[in-house]
Amino acid sequence: MTPLALEEVTFWYPATETPALRDVALEVAAGEIVALVGKVGAGASTLLLVAADLAPRVTGGRLAGAVRRRARSGIVLPTPWTQLSGMAFTVWDEVAFGPANLGWPGHEIARHVDHALERLEIVSLAARDPVTLSGGELQRVIVAGLLAMDPDLMLLDEPTAELDPAGARSVWRLLRLLAGEGKAIVVATSELDAVPDVADQVVWLDDGAVRAIGTPQLLAEDAACDDGLGTTVARIWRAAGLAPPYPLTVADAVRRWP
Amino acid sequence: MSVRLLALIPVAVAISLALSAAVDAVALPLFLDTTGTILATALAGPVVGIAVGALTSAVNTLRNPTFWPFVVVQIIVALYAGFAARAALFRSLKTAVPAGLGLGVIASVTSTPISYFVFGCTTTGGIALTTALGKALGLPPLGACFFGSFVSDFGDKAVTFALVATVLHALPRRTAARFPLALRAIGAA
Amino acid sequence: MRTLHPFTLLAVAAALPALAWILPAPGGGLATLLVALSLTLTPGASPGPAGTGISRSWRPGLVVFRTALFTAAPFWLFLLLLHDVRTTVAIGLRISTMVASFVWLAAVLAPDRLVEATVARGWSVTAAYLFAATLSAVPVLKARARRIVEAQRCRGLSPRGSVANRFRALRALALPLVLSALHEVDERTLALESRGLVSGARRTSLAPPPDRVVERVVRWGLLLLCLAALVRRLA
Repeated sequence: MTPLALEEVTFWYPATETPALRDVALEVAAGEIVALVGKVGAGASTLLLVAADLAPRVTGGRLAGAVRRRARSGIVLPTPWTQLSGMAFTVWDEVAFGPANLGWPGHEIARHVDHALERLEIVSLAARDPVTLSGGELQRVIVAGLLAMDPDLMLLDEPTAELDPAGARSVWRLLRLLAGEGKAIVVATSELDAVPDVADQVVWLDDGAVRAIGTPQLLAEDAACDDGLGTTVARIWRAAGLAPPYPLTVADAVRRWP
Repeated sequence: MSVRLLALIPVAVAISLALSAAVDAVALPLFLDTTGTILATALAGPVVGIAVGALTSAVNTLRNPTFWPFVVVQIIVALYAGFAARAALFRSLKTAVPAGLGLGVIASVTSTPISYFVFGCTTTGGIALTTALGKALGLPPLGACFFGSFVSDFGDKAVTFALVATVLHALPRRTAARFPLALRAIGAA
Repeated sequence: MRTLHPFTLLAVAAALPALAWILPAPGGGLATLLVALSLTLTPGASPGPAGTGISRSWRPGLVVFRTALFTAAPFWLFLLLLHDVRTTVAIGLRISTMVASFVWLAAVLAPDRLVEATVARGWSVTAAYLFAATLSAVPVLKARARRIVEAQRCRGLSPRGSVANRFRALRALALPLVLSALHEVDERTLALESRGLVSGARRTSLAPPPDRVVERVVRWGLLLLCLAALVRRLA
């Protein structure tokens, strides 16, 4: 059963005439990672809010088309410090905030929180006050908070924006593991070089509409490179005047090197 | 209460208390400690404003324990701001400033009995000194106490109303439209 | 003291000032002040939470006692300025009781324990959220206000000169602070909604503080004592 399906979705924010999403159709299967790419303002964040049932329910505005959710969803927004609950005085309590709100029994909460802290490699932060954490640490705490709620559909908006390269790599590895366990994942990211190793499907959004859907190979095509959405390796290969199809990753380039 | 209004309340309290840094920087004799109450009321109505006012008093009490009885003034401010918002008095500075002056009078009338009967007019150093000035001018004790409260409240509430009107007009319409009363308060709905 | 149930701490801090005003002066106020001051000397009273103005750099031991005395002292000066000695003593003892009780409360009441106590008691999550989120938001926004003041000064904003200039400066300082805070309300709302915060919902208490029978008796006892004192005073 498809955890998320959008059918011809158009969405307007309140007090605006121009839609933020236009006729978007998308299906996300269990165990699949879909990457949303596009320029700033292309509609990736709005699409995630619609998928999470936050738009228009919480944001206000108007939606045309149909959104079918057959899974419990959770979302990580781009700025970690505005996602702090404000109700927790330790990292452990912060991660437990969502599960406690769901009314789970204490032992269930403890199991999920401990597991989430381990998976995000932040067990050592458990007793710290969240407001004393760095941006990168906070981002992991917020992702752990989502994970502890055990959603079937995970929606992530720039989940590695505050992380160093090693931290980002460990989050991408974790997402692949979670997909392997059957979770459906949609991630909006500007870290294009990570997409080929992480995503099964890439959705290229442009001005609120889907411009193309395909495999990560999309990020090595001329059109994507023209729009600044090619991977670094693809763009260098192209700039050097080497023949298409362009390689996506360093490993591809090494294989193809004459 | 919607989660949006719930999220607004702590932020509005923090606005009231954080503005003291701006006031200190420009060395003006103002408090602006009802800004969050008035702003939250203009955005979301008096119930939210009363919650902001009560919490502002509670947090202020941790800093200066004598603030707690003045929670009554914060509630009156929220109710008055609710009427002002419904009457669209935040539509321009020309309507907001007189409305703020009116609140200054009402706030001093409300705070005078608390200040007089509970604290003997010594709530803050400024009020104690202006009350002493009132006594020196020959006013009776209660009159001197009102004089002290009036001097501190009158201008403060007018500036607060002007600040809230400026904020409401500077707020993007897309954001303002998400709060139930905001557009009406500025006469845009 | 910190191990007492948060409701007990609140009840004591509320009852002492109430009794100070209800009982006849100056004996009543003196008695309540002595009780309140002795509480500030009890072990477990530590400097209060951030933003309360209680410095952490003071020597431990007498920290809370000294804070109470220094906070109450100016009121005696103002009272002497405005009133005769008899009135000064009567009102001064009451205000000092209130100051000492609240300074002690701020020092011993752990916010996380109060949050858990309200949740465990079955109160709506709304009350717990408002209390805790406000305590978290205040220092954050105060720090931002200071950064805005510094940033605007670096950009040449002069907060001196004529009154009109100062009002212009105030506008330049206050607007960015308030607008950025309101913008964050939007993101906070989305985050809280997605993390399951529903107004009025029952939440699981993560670590409910123990509430002993003796503490419940003390709380009811304090309430009855205040009522009895009030009835006797009015009779």
